[in-house]
Amino acid sequence: MSHVNKPAKRRRFSLAANIALLPMALTVLFAYLGTMLWTMRVSVSSSRTFPADDFVGAAQYVRLFNNERWLLSLHNLLVYGVLFIIACMVLGFLLAVFIDQKVAAEGVLRTVFLYPYAMSFVATGLVWQWMLNPELGIQEVLHKLGFEQARFDWIIDQDMVIYTVVIATVWQASGLVMALMLSGLRGIDEEIWKAARIDGIPRWRVYASIVLPMLGPSVSTAFVLLFVMVVKVYDAVVAMTQGGPGTASEVPAKFIMDYLFGRANIGLASAASVVLLTTVLAIVVPVYFVRNRAGKGKAAR
Amino acid sequence: MTAAVMNPARRRRSRWTPARLGVYAFLLCAALFFLLPLYVMLVTSVKPMAEIRLGTLFALPVQATLEPWSMAWQSACTGLECKGIRGGFWNSVWIVVPSTILSIAVGAVNGYALSFWRPRGASLLFAVLMMGAFIPVQVMVYPLVRLLAMAHLFSSLPGIILIHTIFGMPVMTLLFRNYYAALPQELFKAARIDGGGFWRIFLQLMLPMSTPVIVVAAIMQVTGIWNDFLLGIVFAGAEHLPMTVQLNNIINTSTGERLYNVNMAATILTSMVPLGLYFISGRWFVRGIASGAVKG
Amino acid sequence: MNKTNKTAGAIALALAAQAALMAPAMAQNPAPLKATVIHWWTSGGESAAIRQFADAYNKAGGQWIDQAIAGADQSRATTINRIVGGNAPVAAQFNTSQQFRDIVDQGLLNNIDDVAIKGNWDQIMPPSILNAIKVKGHFYAAPVSIHMPAWFFYSKAAFKKAGIADEPKTWDEFLADLARLKAAGVVPLAFGGQVWQEKITFDAIFAMVGGQELYLKVYRDRDQAAVKSDAFKQVLVAFKKLRGFTDAGAPGRNWNDATAMVITGKAGVQIMGDWAKGEFSAAKQTAGKEFGCFPGFGPKSPYIVAGDAFVFPKSSNVDVIKAQKLLATSMTSPAAQVAFSERKGSIPIRGDVDDSTLDLCAKQGIAIMKDKSRQLPNSEMLTSPDTNGALQDVLTNYWNKNQSADDAQKAFASALKE
Repeated sequence: MSHVNKPAKRRRFSLAANIALLPMALTVLFAYLGTMLWTMRVSVSSSRTFPADDFVGAAQYVRLFNNERWLLSLHNLLVYGVLFIIACMVLGFLLAVFIDQKVAAEGVLRTVFLYPYAMSFVATGLVWQWMLNPELGIQEVLHKLGFEQARFDWIIDQDMVIYTVVIATVWQASGLVMALMLSGLRGIDEEIWKAARIDGIPRWRVYASIVLPMLGPSVSTAFVLLFVMVVKVYDAVVAMTQGGPGTASEVPAKFIMDYLFGRANIGLASAASVVLLTTVLAIVVPVYFVRNRAGKGKAAR
Repeated sequence: MTAAVMNPARRRRSRWTPARLGVYAFLLCAALFFLLPLYVMLVTSVKPMAEIRLGTLFALPVQATLEPWSMAWQSACTGLECKGIRGGFWNSVWIVVPSTILSIAVGAVNGYALSFWRPRGASLLFAVLMMGAFIPVQVMVYPLVRLLAMAHLFSSLPGIILIHTIFGMPVMTLLFRNYYAALPQELFKAARIDGGGFWRIFLQLMLPMSTPVIVVAAIMQVTGIWNDFLLGIVFAGAEHLPMTVQLNNIINTSTGERLYNVNMAATILTSMVPLGLYFISGRWFVRGIASGAVKG
Repeated sequence: MNKTNKTAGAIALALAAQAALMAPAMAQNPAPLKATVIHWWTSGGESAAIRQFADAYNKAGGQWIDQAIAGADQSRATTINRIVGGNAPVAAQFNTSQQFRDIVDQGLLNNIDDVAIKGNWDQIMPPSILNAIKVKGHFYAAPVSIHMPAWFFYSKAAFKKAGIADEPKTWDEFLADLARLKAAGVVPLAFGGQVWQEKITFDAIFAMVGGQELYLKVYRDRDQAAVKSDAFKQVLVAFKKLRGFTDAGAPGRNWNDATAMVITGKAGVQIMGDWAKGEFSAAKQTAGKEFGCFPGFGPKSPYIVAGDAFVFPKSSNVDVIKAQKLLATSMTSPAAQVAFSERKGSIPIRGDVDDSTLDLCAKQGIAIMKDKSRQLPNSEMLTSPDTNGALQDVLTNYWNKNQSADDAQKAFASALKE
C-alpha cells in the first residue's frame, strides 16, 4: 500500500464519510467485538452445551495447554501456514504472469485454474484423499506403470500428512491469487511496457523491478486472504484426513469445532479460540507497526 | 528479444521463441495438475457403483452411465424427500444475489472512505474488523443467533442476507481499500478541487474505475455465498434453505450408504453457477482502465 | 328453455350430491398436526426407513414436515441453535446417549411421560435404553432404533479362498482366521482409520476380550483400579494386534470404502455396526449368501446396545404438544418399528414384535436381546461426549503411533478421570 498523501492534512471532518462508515462501525461493535468479548467470557466458565454463568478462572486454558492435540494443532498451523502462503503466492503470481502473455484460449485457462475454488471441498477433498492413498491413487498407478519402488504415501505418514493438505489446498486457492494478481497486472499502464521496451530492459527485469512493486496492493490483499484461509482451515482437513492418521494433521479450527459441537464443551472451545486469535494478533500487530512506520517514512513519491 | 510479443498491435504467435514455448509448457503442466482431480470426479460420476468399489480410480468407465447425473439433479435422497438438488436452486439465487450486491456495495463504500477520507477512528475500526476475519465462523454462530433472535431476524431471508454481509465485510473492505489506495491521488484531489462531495466522487469517479476489483470481489462473494452451508442452515429458515443443504444431505452421511458417483455429479452441478461466472468474467479482465482515466 | 332447465337441474343435482358426500368427510377431518422434524437420515436406505415413520404419523392424523440435515454432529448442532434462536423443531434426532443431558438440565425439553406410561415402555424396552432416555424419573426421548456397533461382517468368497469353514468362536480362532486370510492374499481386516471407527473396534475387542464386568467397571464406574489392571492392558494389547491385519491404505478411509472391500472380496472381515447392511444391500448382496455376519465370539458374547431417539423441544403450544405425543406414539408402535428396522438395518426397540420380515443378522440380534445378561450399553450412554472424545484421542494415538500399552493405559486412566 502506498499512502502518497500527507497524513496530517487529511483529517478534516466529513459528515458523509462518517455516516457512510456507520454500518461498518455497527458490525464491528455488535458482531465482531461483541462476539470476541462473549467468547472471552465463556472461556473462563465451565460451559458445556450451553453457556454457564460461573467463573473458573484459567482452568480451561490450563486444560488446553495440557492437551497434546491442541499443541500439535498449533505446530501444524505454523508449518501449514508458511508452506501454503508461499506456494500460493508463487504459483498464483507465475500463473498470472504467464497468462498475461497474450496466450491463446486465455478464458479457458483462467477457468481451469479457478474452478477448484468453485467446488465444495467436501467432494474434492475426498478425491484428493483417494488420489494420495497408496493403494488407490498415484502410488498405485506408478506401481502399475512399472515403478515398483515408487513411494507416495505421505497421507498415511504421521510426519508427512500435513504436506498433503498443503498440496490440496494450494490446488484450491492458487486460482484466486492468480485472479487477484491478474487484475493487478491488468491495471498496469501500457506506457510502462512501451517505455521498458524502448529502453531495452529485459522482460524478466521489468517484472522483478517494476511490475512486482506496482503489484503491492494485490500482493498485500492476497497475503491477507491467504492468512485468513490458513487460520480457518477446516474443510480440507476433515475431508482429506479427518485430522489423522491419529491426530497428526490436527488444526486449531478443527479442534475448536470438535469441542464446540461433538464434545459439547464450548468453554474449552472458547479458550482455544481466544488463544488462536491472540496468536494471530501477536503476529499481525508487529507487522502492522513496521509497515506503518515504513509508510510514514516515505512521505511523498 | 521478445519485444515483438509485447507489442499489443501484433497478435500472438508471431514467433515461437523458446520463451514462448516455455510459457505454454508451464501453463500446460499447471493445467494438468489442476485438471487431474476434475478428471477423477468426472470419471467417477459416470461409473456404476460396482466399478467404483473396485477402487480403480483413474480407469475409464467400462459401462458409462449418466444415471448418477440424473439422480443428483432430481431423484437423490436428501431426507424424507428424494428430489435431488434442484429444489434449492432458486433459494440459493435469492440468497446469493442480494448478499453479493450488498456486501460489495458496503465493502466499496468502506474501502473508499478508508483510503481517501479516513475519518477519525476509522483505522482502528478497520483493524478490529480485520481481526474479526480470523475468528472461526462456528464460534460466532451462537452469539449471532441470540442477536438475530432479539432482532426478530432469525430464520429469515433478510437475516441470512445480513449475516452474509457481516461475514463478507472484512475481506470486501480490505479488497476495495487496497485497490483505491493504489489509484493515483491526483484524480481524487482534482475532483475535490472541482467541488465534488463524498458521494459524487464515489459514484461518478471511483466506482466506474473499480471494474477489475468488483470482478474479483464478485468472484469471491458468489463462490463463498453459493457454497456456504453452515450459515445457510442456521440462519436462513426452512423455506429459504440454499442448495448446499441438499448437496450436503446427498454427499454427507454418518451411517448411510454412500453413492460416490451421485456425490461427484451433485458437486459438479452445484459448482456450475460460480464456474459460469468465472468464464464470463473474462471480458472484464481488460487492460488499462485506470491508466485510461489518468491520460484523461 | 326445456333443455336449459334440464341441464340446470342436472347440475344442481350433481352439486347437491357432491355436497352430501363431502359433508360427513369434512366433519371428521380436523386440521393435521404439523410436526417439523430434524434428523440426519439422508441416504437412500435411511430415507426409505424414515418414510415409514412419516407415513405412520401422517396416517394417524399428523403432517410430517421433514428437515433433514446430514451429518450427526451438524444435525444436533443445528437443533441446539434453533432451540436457542426460538425456532425449535417439534422433534429432533439424537442418539440414545448423554448427548442431550445438558438440554434436559436446562429445561429445554418436553417430557413424554404419558406416552411412555401408556405404551408400557418400562416393560418392553431394554434397561440400557431406558437409562439413557430417563432423567430423574421422567422420559425425555422416544427411542426408535437399536443399533449394535460391533458386528463382524465377512465375505463368504474370501473365507472360502482362505479355507475357513466356520465362523470363529473365540478370540484366538479369530486371530488364526485373520492369519489364514492374510496367507491367502486377502486383506484380513477391512479397516477405516477414522477416530470413531477405531473406537468402535476397540469397544468390540474390549467387550469380547475384556469381558462385560471390566467394561462396565471402566466405562460406567470409572474405576481407576480396573483401568490400571493387567486385564485392561491385555485388552489394549489385543486391540493393537489387529493393526497387523489391516492394509496400508487404512488411515482416513470412509467406512463405506472398507465395506466395499468386503463386498468385492478384497478383504475378509469388517468390524462395523449393523448399518453396514445398507451398503451390502446397495450392492445387491444378501446376508447368509454373499456375506455373513456374527455378533461376537461364542454363544454368550456381549451385545453392545446403541441407538437413536427423538427429543421434543419445550413448547406450551397445545398443538405442538399433541403433535409431539402423536409422534412418540407412532414411531414406537410395533408396525412402524418393524417397517423401519427392515430398511434401516437396526432392530426394534420393543421386544414384542414379529421379526419374520427382518434379515438374518437382525433376527440373530433380536434373539440375543431377549437375554438381558448379554446386553451392554455403549460407551456414549455411560460417559459424557467430552470424556468419550478424550478417550477416542487416547486410543487413536495408541493405534497410530508406536506407543506402548503401558503408556496408553496411563493416558486412558487420566482421560477417564476428567
